[in-house]
Amino acid sequence: MENFEPVIVAFCCHYCAYTAADMAGSQRLPYPPNVKIVQIPCSGKIDALHIVTAFEKGADGVYVAGCLEGDCHFKNGNTRAARRIEFVKKYLEEIGIESERLEMVNVSAGMGHRFAQVATEITDKIRKLGPSPIRTALAQ
Amino acid sequence: MITAERKPLEELIEYIKPFKRILLLGCNECVTVCAAGGRKEVGLLASGLQMAMLKTGNNIEIRQHTLERQCDPEYVEELVPMIDSADAVMSMACGCGVQQIAMRFKDKPVFPAVNTTFMGASERQGVWAERCQGCGNCLLGITGGICPIARCAKQLMNGPCGGSTGGRCEISEDVDCAWQLIWDRLKALGLQDRYLDIVPAKDWRTGGGSGPRKIIREDLAE
Amino acid sequence: MQNSNTIETQNNKVLVVGGGLGGIRTALDLAEADKDVVLVDKDFTVGGLMTQLDRTFPTNNCDLCTIAPHLSESNRQEHIELMTMTSVDNVTGEKGNFSVTLITKPRYINLEKCTACGECLKQFPECVRFNPGLDHRAPTCMRYPQATPQAFSIDLAKCTDVQALVKVCPAGAINPDDMPIKRELKCASIVLSPGADLFDPSALDYLGYAKFPDVVTSLEYERILSASGPTAGKLLCPSNGRQPKKIAWIQCIGSRGLQKGAGAYCSNACCMFALKEAIITKERFQEDIETTIFYMDMRTFGKDYELYLNRAKDDYGVRFLRSRPHSILHHENEENLTLTYTQDDSTKQFEEKFDMVVLSTGFKTSEDTRALATKIGLQLNDDFFPVTDGFNPVATTKPGIYVAGTFQGPKDIPDTMVQASAAACMAGADLPFFAKKQAAEKEEERARDISLEEPKVGVFICDCGENIGGVINVEDLVEDAAKLPYVAVAKAEGHGCSRISMQNIRQTIEEEQLNRVVIGGCSPRTHLTKFQDLLGKAGLNKYLVEIANIRDQATWVHFGMPGEATTKAKELIKMAVGSAVKAQPLADQSLPMNKNVLVVGGGVTGMTAALRLADQGFQIYLAERSDKLGGLANKLIKTLEGDDVQAFVADLIAKVQNNKKIQVFTRALIVDHSGMPGMFKTGMQSGPQMFYRQIDHGVTILATGALSNRPSQYLLDQSPAVRTQLETQKFVYDNPDAVKKWENVVMIQCVGSRTPENPNCSRICCQNAIKNALAILAINPEARVFVLYRDMRTYGFQEEYYQKARSQGVLFVRYDLDTPPKVQAAGDQVDVTFHDAILGMEITVTADNLSLSTGMIADNDATEELAMVFKLPRTVDGYFLEDHVKLRPVDMSVPGFFVAGTAHSPKLIRESITQANAVAARAQTMLARDSINLGAASAKVDGNLCAACLICVRACPFDVPFINADGYSEIDPAKCHGCGICVSECPAKAIQLMQFEDDRILAKVEQLFERINA
Repeated sequence: MENFEPVIVAFCCHYCAYTAADMAGSQRLPYPPNVKIVQIPCSGKIDALHIVTAFEKGADGVYVAGCLEGDCHFKNGNTRAARRIEFVKKYLEEIGIESERLEMVNVSAGMGHRFAQVATEITDKIRKLGPSPIRTALAQ
Repeated sequence: MITAERKPLEELIEYIKPFKRILLLGCNECVTVCAAGGRKEVGLLASGLQMAMLKTGNNIEIRQHTLERQCDPEYVEELVPMIDSADAVMSMACGCGVQQIAMRFKDKPVFPAVNTTFMGASERQGVWAERCQGCGNCLLGITGGICPIARCAKQLMNGPCGGSTGGRCEISEDVDCAWQLIWDRLKALGLQDRYLDIVPAKDWRTGGGSGPRKIIREDLAE
Repeated sequence: MQNSNTIETQNNKVLVVGGGLGGIRTALDLAEADKDVVLVDKDFTVGGLMTQLDRTFPTNNCDLCTIAPHLSESNRQEHIELMTMTSVDNVTGEKGNFSVTLITKPRYINLEKCTACGECLKQFPECVRFNPGLDHRAPTCMRYPQATPQAFSIDLAKCTDVQALVKVCPAGAINPDDMPIKRELKCASIVLSPGADLFDPSALDYLGYAKFPDVVTSLEYERILSASGPTAGKLLCPSNGRQPKKIAWIQCIGSRGLQKGAGAYCSNACCMFALKEAIITKERFQEDIETTIFYMDMRTFGKDYELYLNRAKDDYGVRFLRSRPHSILHHENEENLTLTYTQDDSTKQFEEKFDMVVLSTGFKTSEDTRALATKIGLQLNDDFFPVTDGFNPVATTKPGIYVAGTFQGPKDIPDTMVQASAAACMAGADLPFFAKKQAAEKEEERARDISLEEPKVGVFICDCGENIGGVINVEDLVEDAAKLPYVAVAKAEGHGCSRISMQNIRQTIEEEQLNRVVIGGCSPRTHLTKFQDLLGKAGLNKYLVEIANIRDQATWVHFGMPGEATTKAKELIKMAVGSAVKAQPLADQSLPMNKNVLVVGGGVTGMTAALRLADQGFQIYLAERSDKLGGLANKLIKTLEGDDVQAFVADLIAKVQNNKKIQVFTRALIVDHSGMPGMFKTGMQSGPQMFYRQIDHGVTILATGALSNRPSQYLLDQSPAVRTQLETQKFVYDNPDAVKKWENVVMIQCVGSRTPENPNCSRICCQNAIKNALAILAINPEARVFVLYRDMRTYGFQEEYYQKARSQGVLFVRYDLDTPPKVQAAGDQVDVTFHDAILGMEITVTADNLSLSTGMIADNDATEELAMVFKLPRTVDGYFLEDHVKLRPVDMSVPGFFVAGTAHSPKLIRESITQANAVAARAQTMLARDSINLGAASAKVDGNLCAACLICVRACPFDVPFINADGYSEIDPAKCHGCGICVSECPAKAIQLMQFEDDRILAKVEQLFERINA
């Protein structure tokens, strides 16, 4: 695919990553526009179904951004999310989607820089992986 | 509860390959509780199948529905309005549910999406262990509430085999020796005497040894 | 004068003079704490200086938009009486019982009738009042689009045909017979926050400000950049409208005693102000423009300000020249200006051309405010600022009268906001105790029943001035949004949060009978509540609004790619519409408020906050980690100004220990924490036996302090001659005889600060060095004192002590980060070698004493542990992170948590005390409530779907779900914290989290890809 621009969904915890994204904004720290943020109240709210649905609809990458370990506003939502991500990664492999397209990241509210950096890194990685096989199939 | 696990996606794809329109069924009983075939798993499987098929260039149509209980005909009747629009049915219920569907809709291919594994109990969140094999003649009263049939690899009736070491079964370090558990518990209850009773060879006729079993409650049966 | 004098007898109010940002904050804090306020401003709208700023550092956005509408739109208004065009004529009486004469000038417009339609302005532009400045555009007599009150004002003197003017108003609001009104107001206390003027450089002919149009002040430059400014945000040279290629900023105009008529003090905010202007300029024009800042010392001493300076240097390529330009010339036949300057490491005179020169003018008190202060009987200092208490900068020499903001002393917005809250605390405490007013049974806003309606969505898209509109075309978004399913109306709304836009949106909702609203604007974190309130007023359930954050997530971060930013903004709006369509009306949960307060940290900050709140009748639990109260202040002897810290701390400790409402726990360790804002439970172990106890409290104040830094550098702890500044002070105080024998004293600044490892400035060290240098010279005038510094950051009135030290012969020698001084042991002395730029050579001084300005570092271990227990965010360097640098400088992002003192960032004792007073005010705004609103985000089980599998029961971090008598899971919405973990683990999909329902999240995902795949 020429000029491939990946579409990446970032499910961001309200308490950390979503705030960090705002901070990246107020500090004008650019990151690729490929990343689209969906706010969730806690990374522990991320449902395996939401992730597979995103891929089914054509996402090239998905990441879930939760608080740093030990910092979850709800005690352990982020660690539960991390386990769920591992589960879904295995399922993606079964389906035939590279599991690297899904990731769990941890960002604190103060890390505007890291937010922009993670968004850039993940976009670069997905760009290298190329379009998701589902997106390619959908386009046909 | 009956426990089950989803079959590998690959196997399921083989089943549905020839079909365009699939009715994917969940069951809100045991398989929901063991996170194998409830509404959530139905959704995940539908999405997974859809994507896997898409990759092979097949755009299939999957309709999801979860019944309160697939092993009861009245609940199965709910499917009547939707069955015609499906070429095949895939059920995430245990084997009982799958068969119930197959029996009701004789002209539809019905495929199992899970392997029905055992009758078990939750050890903790996300972990289930086998506890009963439905032998039809419960021994728990004399084995201290621990079943040697479901939990002893050799289904021994009168104490452990020589492979029991340090309370573990010889088949795996992770498996407790059922007879060690039985002994510990009898001792704790002061019922060591029970251990001395010789249990005669088990009559497996109640355990399916004489063919498919049936229970009839005459007062209820119509 | 009209004789309609009103006399009031009740003295249960606070008078706040000045409706700038600080005055507004003070008024809001008091009102939210259920206290009555009269807010007067001599202007015709509130907002003060900030209304003229384009954007403000360090976030580079405009925050007035966020705060000003609160004044008029929130239900707190019941406690605030706003009087514009009003000034204080006289004050008599004393604390608790003041009598104030207020005079309100005629506006010639009836505020009740004026709809701000603008008809009068169109027809009679010459009669409209407007703040002059550089603004030569047709004046709108509302100074800014979010003006409060939203009404016009007439300059009758300029009107030739009064009758015609009267007729032009369709609302009949113009009243030419309007008269001045005199009012006698009784109040218990007064807060003065009238702001300050900016230095007028007209008289300084060598700068050419009066002659050359392209020499502007920093405020005028701000107006040029501003979307609401004279060039509508286009950067053009005032002389001929060309776009400048090279711009210079000259710092310290009117400050640091440099020019004729300048204040002797440092104006505190101008370095950051210039940095901001340079960054914004670079941001907008990047390679096409060169920015140069001519400075003496870059004073970026605030929290994380050093990072801002580094960004300006490293990321934006702003050029810094340490020099004070001699003059600005304009050669004939040349378009641009010529700057002549020298640099301190060369005798050469340089000439350089610039298209524009910006003069960073400092603050000074205005004649009016000086006169007012004198009339009231306030003592003024030599710089004409009020004399205030050394340990409580908002308290004047007259009890019951407080000051805040730039009138107290030059400062930036965050410090103004802190003082404003502190003044609210002090002034509020002077009010008589009164039985809480039975809140007038508010007529329950009846939300329209929309259950049978098809979704009908209104999309309102903000341009947020340049913030959104500067990058993308809002009309394009509107056009696109109008085509989305269920969208009935799509409109551009300018500043959507402005009063007028809010009114428009409300009107549209009502007229079009909309039942869902989508705002394309900024972050729901800051603005959702405001739009929710708006929906409530428009007769809709407040949960039917969704915000697409197209500013923070598109225009701000993709400013360099307008095309992509536009596409993304469209996607975000589409996602929001998809989600809004699925939104359902929800009800809030509430619980009774616990009014106890936990203060963590028993230093000066913690004790001050505890005392203020205890005096308001709240029960305080004060937890101190060590075995005694006092914290770092126990090690201080005197302040720079000579105030006795030891006596102050001893007095404070005694007051705390004798206060029946304060229970002190020493050797206290916070071990666990649960609950929610308004009903926290915190477990701590305390005392020698580590006795465990759990405390119920409604709010938590963090005042855990910081540590004095002690890096192993420059032979610290190796040579007896090397001391930290803290140790130096004690040594000088205890051993004057030894000091008398000292010949050479060297001080090294920025030891362990402003380095790659610890990039921030410790704020306190420059004044510490000056303090100790002066103390040494007082004992031993013959001593030679060298201060090796990078930038002297003696901000505000500290500058005068810096000048004093210079005049007493202290030698200040600059060094760079790359060439630090070298220190070698020489017996009991040390040899300090450094480079002198003026002499251009290395110099070695054998010092009897080497004082290291080691500053402060965050108590990383303590803040990390507390942050874990309380789930609070911290900065990268380990300080607690406030919710918003400017708007909520002492509030944490988790409601119910507040931070003050050095746990927030390094600061002086009096600054810590000011923050302590500020948190006490902020805490009272919460403690005044009787119930806590828990919001609507709770998990709800559909019993018909539930398989009673127990997965939710086991998954919930707070043990809320249980299987009820009917055999399905039940979740008490009052106990649910709203994380949604159970929702995502439920295998039967029987649970939904309100506000974040699965279908809404999925709708966003689906909408996003629908466009992409289409």
